Amino acid sequence: MSNPGDSIRSKERRRAQFIQKTIGEIARPAIAVLIALALGALVIYLVGEDPIYAYKQLFYGAFGGWGAFSATLQYTTPLLFTGLAVGFAFRSDVSNIGVEGQMLFGAMAAGLVGYYVHLPMIIHLPLTIIAAMLAGGLWAVFPALGKVKLGLNELVLCMMLNPMASKLTSYLSSYPFKAPGPTNKTYDIMATAVLPQFTPFSQLNAGFILALVTIAVFWFIENRTVRGYELKMVGLNPLFAEQAGIGIDKSIYQVFFISGALAGLAGAEQVLGVYRAYYDGFSPGFGFDGIAVAMLAKNSPIGIAVSALLLGALNSGGIAMQMMTSVTRDIVKVLEAIIILLLAAEFAINWYKVRRNRARQSENRR
Amino acid sequence: MAQAVNMKNIVKRFGPVTANRGVDFSAEKGEVHALVGENGAGKSTLMNILYGLHSPDEGTIEVGGVPVVLTNPRVAIKHGIGMVHQHFKLVPSLTVAENIVLGSEPGNGLNFNRNVAFRQVRELSKTYDLDIDPGALVHDLPVGLRQRVEILKVLYRSVDVLILDEPTAVLTPQETEELFVNIRQLANSGKTVIFITHKLGEVMSVSDRVSIMRDGRIIKVTNTCDTSAEEIASDMVGRPVLFRVKKREAQPKQPILSVSKLVVDGSRGVEAVRGVGFEVRSGEIVGIAGVQGNGQDELIDALVGLRKPKAGKVTLNGHDITSCSPAIARDHGLSYIPADRMRDGLCLPASLWENAIAGHQRNPQLSRGPVLNIKECIRFTQELIDKFDIRGGSASTPSKALSGGNQQKLVAAREMSRNGEFIIADQPSRGVDIGAIEFMHNRLIAMRDEGTAILLVSADLDEILSVSDRILVLYKGEVVGEVPGAHASKDAIGRLMAGIRDEGGEQVV
Repeated sequence: MSNPGDSIRSKERRRAQFIQKTIGEIARPAIAVLIALALGALVIYLVGEDPIYAYKQLFYGAFGGWGAFSATLQYTTPLLFTGLAVGFAFRSDVSNIGVEGQMLFGAMAAGLVGYYVHLPMIIHLPLTIIAAMLAGGLWAVFPALGKVKLGLNELVLCMMLNPMASKLTSYLSSYPFKAPGPTNKTYDIMATAVLPQFTPFSQLNAGFILALVTIAVFWFIENRTVRGYELKMVGLNPLFAEQAGIGIDKSIYQVFFISGALAGLAGAEQVLGVYRAYYDGFSPGFGFDGIAVAMLAKNSPIGIAVSALLLGALNSGGIAMQMMTSVTRDIVKVLEAIIILLLAAEFAINWYKVRRNRARQSENRR
Repeated sequence: MAQAVNMKNIVKRFGPVTANRGVDFSAEKGEVHALVGENGAGKSTLMNILYGLHSPDEGTIEVGGVPVVLTNPRVAIKHGIGMVHQHFKLVPSLTVAENIVLGSEPGNGLNFNRNVAFRQVRELSKTYDLDIDPGALVHDLPVGLRQRVEILKVLYRSVDVLILDEPTAVLTPQETEELFVNIRQLANSGKTVIFITHKLGEVMSVSDRVSIMRDGRIIKVTNTCDTSAEEIASDMVGRPVLFRVKKREAQPKQPILSVSKLVVDGSRGVEAVRGVGFEVRSGEIVGIAGVQGNGQDELIDALVGLRKPKAGKVTLNGHDITSCSPAIARDHGLSYIPADRMRDGLCLPASLWENAIAGHQRNPQLSRGPVLNIKECIRFTQELIDKFDIRGGSASTPSKALSGGNQQKLVAAREMSRNGEFIIADQPSRGVDIGAIEFMHNRLIAMRDEGTAILLVSADLDEILSVSDRILVLYKGEVVGEVPGAHASKDAIGRLMAGIRDEGGEQVV
């Protein structure tokens, strides 16, 4: 039965399977990015610029030297958090697209605790970060409640909660907690709550390290823990999970809360590391970009690190491209939109297939 | 006699798995040809190729002596080959006639001529002696008649070769007999019937010839009258098979599960279970017989915690588990083999090991605190694979890559290794081959002898009869009879299943 040739062959086959699988997983997002770049090139050509020159500027803007690269990493940091927040939820079939709103509440909590509480740094900084996570997590409990108790669709709930969060935080930073001055912002946070910056070239700060650690922690949670396994089963087949004794409702609350807490971390990094106060309207939509990041990565934490870097590079490179050519950085938004559209099409098709199969199966059972 | 179909040297690979390794199969005009074999032997693949659902990697197919390429079922039907699947594909809200003509309606494309359809169906049913009312709505029909509609649907497309995929799986014994009469009539009128089955009694009683498959090859073709069920079984499995499960008299002890006055609503809001009460004691196997759709699904769902009962009480090991979640029921010692492996028995996209550890994941053997010991999980899975002879994958293959029977073995392996005090086995051997059924039944009996209380639900009467110590018959949501396993006759239970009491043959309810 077990001659040595067999085990070598099976090892080789396993390696071949692994390579094939990895290529398969990378191929589709890579193709989406390439198609987007090609269509972007067409747009650039149509506005009368040289696409190759423009892309070169974009590349140098993102990776040309430490200054550019540190800016890229600064843009990448919030996307690591929001991408992880969305991906962690998607993995359990919880469509938390309310990450933007949860992030705003996290940021607001960080700004307030960072200013009003006075403690030594070793306590103050973690406390502020925890406050931000709690705020984001609690805001995320609302859609969970609606989904579990009332059977509402969390996509709709999240979509409606996002503008609510935006208006509420806007009000808080414009009236009750507004610092004196022309801008709508809260008071600058205490030095004891600041995430230290690394370089004069950009606002890259210790939050980046925190993000990498968080990615690693979530890789471990998802792939090596009992609960990570259970939540994966909930996402893949809730009926299976339920009969095996994994509570679905409890999982939905938990996933929403953790996802919201991760969104809160994104807000904390922006306030404590980049702006050092809550500025009204500081987010260009990190929470929404997080959806793109998670979809591009198919929710895997390591994939999220890669795709957050890609989107971060496009954003920071876009600024350089705008300076050197007549192509505005809006082209980056176009590229992002095309990537999302292409992936969403695939996502929608898969979702439709799953729904159809489930419908068929339950029909057969009756 | 002329050959109706002739498949030569058919090879079909699915990735690394070869399902058919050079199969030669032929069926003659006017015969009933049984195709038997264990799970994963390649029967369904072969017939799906003949019906145009798969295209073969190698080999040729001749229909009536003419080589053909069957790219999809439409082409197959055009060449006179039709198939009735295990799961019916009917529209319940339409009439029988509408269902039969659906897709090739008489009329001019815009107009559907209902009267012509009714007339055609009436003629068709007369020609083949398949009695049916063309105007009846399909959802009012019992399963046996629905199957007749499926058969007529295929005949309406004037096929000469009819493939039936495990047609008796959902029928009562009486319905099965009627089906066999119909099959014989079809053969007498010149049609060829190919009949896929696991049940050897059926092979013996209805077929003219039998082809036996093992490991992707046809290993024997013989006239049914020249062989015996024992011989076919040992050819299929490759070793002699015992038909009757050997078991000692049950030694029931204290009650483990008690159910009283349980009322459960079905999905459509009508009461599906209407005041059922029974006990399952430690060391006994209680079988629940009944035609599908008489409240079994709802009863089991309520016991497991997947459906809240409207009234009544369920206790397990002295704990009240009425309306508890499955997690709590499982904590109190429940193991559960779900009826539908595709729906909730397995998580198909996940790997074998992820499926095998479900419900065991917090067992200290497999996890240290919150951290999963994946090495141990894989070793545990490998153990189950070896013990239950699960073929077609390793611990890290996705479970959807396994054949149906092997998937079922995986579910059974997982639940039987939980060592709970109570196990519900809902259709445990559905789609599993003789060898594995024998193994599973022996496992159930061994568990019983170790003191486990077992509730067995099965649409297969033979399974209920050979394993159970006591048999409850469920009809329209009520227990209409209890029969001791040792003295049960198939006929008596079959009548109870159809709602007919022994005394005077009157209808129950």
